[in-house]
Amino acid sequence: MRLNLARTLACSRANGPGERFVLWVQGCPLACPGCWNADTWAFERRDLRSVDALATEILATQGIEGVTFSGGEPFQQARSLAALAERLQAAGLSVFIFSGHTLEELTSPVHRALLAHTDVLVAGRYDRNRRMAMAGWRSSENQTTHFLSDRYGPTDAEGVPEAEIHVSADGTLSFTGFPDLAMVADLSN
Amino acid sequence: MSAYMTLMTPMIDQDCLLAALADVGFGADKVEVHASPVALVGYEGSQRQQVANLVVRRRNVGHASNDLGFVSTPTGFAAIISDFDRGQYNADWMGRLNGRYTHHASERQARLDAQAKAEEAARRAALVEAQREAVVARAKKNGYRVTESRVGDQVRLVLVKRSY
Repeated sequence: MRLNLARTLACSRANGPGERFVLWVQGCPLACPGCWNADTWAFERRDLRSVDALATEILATQGIEGVTFSGGEPFQQARSLAALAERLQAAGLSVFIFSGHTLEELTSPVHRALLAHTDVLVAGRYDRNRRMAMAGWRSSENQTTHFLSDRYGPTDAEGVPEAEIHVSADGTLSFTGFPDLAMVADLSN
Repeated sequence: MSAYMTLMTPMIDQDCLLAALADVGFGADKVEVHASPVALVGYEGSQRQQVANLVVRRRNVGHASNDLGFVSTPTGFAAIISDFDRGQYNADWMGRLNGRYTHHASERQARLDAQAKAEEAARRAALVEAQREAVVARAKKNGYRVTESRVGDQVRLVLVKRSY
């Protein structure tokens, strides 16, 4: 069982509660205008990983309390993510998902299988006209945060930083989280 | 008069060749080094037509010997050894010399590789530091509080603006 990923980040505090291992899956049919991760839309082979290998890598990562699935659209790869989420939850990690779908749209058996191993789901299309500054985990007003287990609650969003910037060993900058547009523009210049 | 023979070698680095010569008994006190080739001298004390950049004078070679020389060419040093001396400085000797040369050349390359690696690491570290400083300055200008941590060889900057 495999996943097609756009990228991963071993430690992040800006993608859900606490320190998290983040997966960005490749492929999204929703193509929300203004999406931050437009490079993850195409349904093309990018970084194919086995669920087993990913689970091993994630479980070997020190200091994380959970994993976050983002994208791309995670529910396009629900079957593999459900298998991964089940293993990670069994090992004590929490599962957090950013999806462009609403909860009401996630009705198929494979969707439900993934939801069954999800602690928090931030759901709904990104609407750039309703973008929220300092929105916790939501990036636009229309989105909804669903607490699907009792592991987390609304107060857990309060300590999450707006953004993280990672400066890699070769000097490459990578952004994650939700920095405000002025900051993004300033850093892009 | 003993005829000189010229033998092309794959040895191209003078320092490594000098080190190899030292290993086979011709240390720095026995080898002349000339930027421009000089004439070799035969066993009777007469200057010969052959010239060399590295010269082992005949007194250091052996009784009734001629100078040994190595002349630099675009494709490597050529060994110039007289027929008389080729009895001792034969293919086996050249093989030993070449083996020592290879050893020193490998060590030299390893040193150069390590130096290049260290320089590259320093260059990258400077780049990362410059990026870090620029990001921190811009984040602060935009009202963010920045906390910094290092994860492996990555720098992580966490940006917080909210006050609650």
